[in-house]
Amino acid sequence: MPKTLKVAFPEKCVGCEMCVMEAQRQLTKIGLEGALIRVFRNTNTKMGYIEYSLEIDPRISNLDVEKIQKICPKGVFEIEEIE
Amino acid sequence: MKQGKPRKILSIDLNTSEYEVKSFEDLDNYIGGVGLGFKLMEMYYEKNPLILAVGPLNGLFPFASKTSIVLNNDGVIEDIYIGGSLSLRIRYGGLDAIVITGTAETKTVLDILNSSVSFRTQNEDPDTLGLPGKRSVTKIEENKVLLGGYFTTPEHYLEKEFAEKNISGFVVTGTELINITDFDKYEELYKKILNRKDELSVIEGTYPSCSNCPIGCGKSKTGEMGGNVLLHSLVACQYADKIYTDVGVVFSCLNVLGYNYTHEDIEFLPKLIEQTLRRIS
Repeated sequence: MPKTLKVAFPEKCVGCEMCVMEAQRQLTKIGLEGALIRVFRNTNTKMGYIEYSLEIDPRISNLDVEKIQKICPKGVFEIEEIE
Repeated sequence: MKQGKPRKILSIDLNTSEYEVKSFEDLDNYIGGVGLGFKLMEMYYEKNPLILAVGPLNGLFPFASKTSIVLNNDGVIEDIYIGGSLSLRIRYGGLDAIVITGTAETKTVLDILNSSVSFRTQNEDPDTLGLPGKRSVTKIEENKVLLGGYFTTPEHYLEKEFAEKNISGFVVTGTELINITDFDKYEELYKKILNRKDELSVIEGTYPSCSNCPIGCGKSKTGEMGGNVLLHSLVACQYADKIYTDVGVVFSCLNVLGYNYTHEDIEFLPKLIEQTLRRIS
């Protein structure tokens, strides 16, 4: 069964973008253009308190999502099976 | 003479609100970061430049996430370093350095997209400029220059430069892709370096992390100042010194990226930088 990546614990994200780079490398790309994962800093939080949010393109399921999950140092992602 | 990769410099003149991109063929020996920054300081000295320079590894290898900032603080040339996402955006903008000269007539925000610049008024919130997910926002918040709302630099040199140049922020968006000939070899080396994260002399944490660094340490917030010139020319993190002062590792990284350096070039770098600094001083 095909698998996809789900942002399970966004509050754990430290904004390192390791997941973005891993997904891009799997597409043999270096850079942010066409990235299937995007990391945003939430700008409406109070000063000194930083939060990040993530967006995942559904095409991520074409990649090795386990590798992406594994490279995240803080355990932000979970793997889900697609029905 | 060895044929190297040209360095692409975005030069911004605040006096005239104009900019240009120059490609220099003869800066290869300075590698990048502080080396390139000092050389650009020599070249633009009369215009009192603020220089942001990245190195060849930024955006490509882990723990190489800092941006070198070179400036003239009342006649003393200072090199300070900021973390966050800036170095990757400059690199993905296809640039090696940004040189900002002059003083803006009114308080200005620089909105940089790859090699182009829009001069915005301070009424425009930098957080609304550029492309989300591909930008790095640096702005004055409560008298401190903050990158991504968190990362700062040591001392108050950058704040002083912002005031002198009459800028209240800059946004850098990078949308270019980097081509690597031998991608498999690059990826193998990337993973090899990433697997050495236990060699970093800093404790892993849950603080905002620099891009392409999984550590999330509590040290990167305050930036860096001075130190090893090879490390700062790359521009790698000071806590990754065990990895990036290893000439063999550095040589492998540069080689896989297509730079034609020899070990001697890298070994000569400190002397080259010293000579450059002596000429400016």
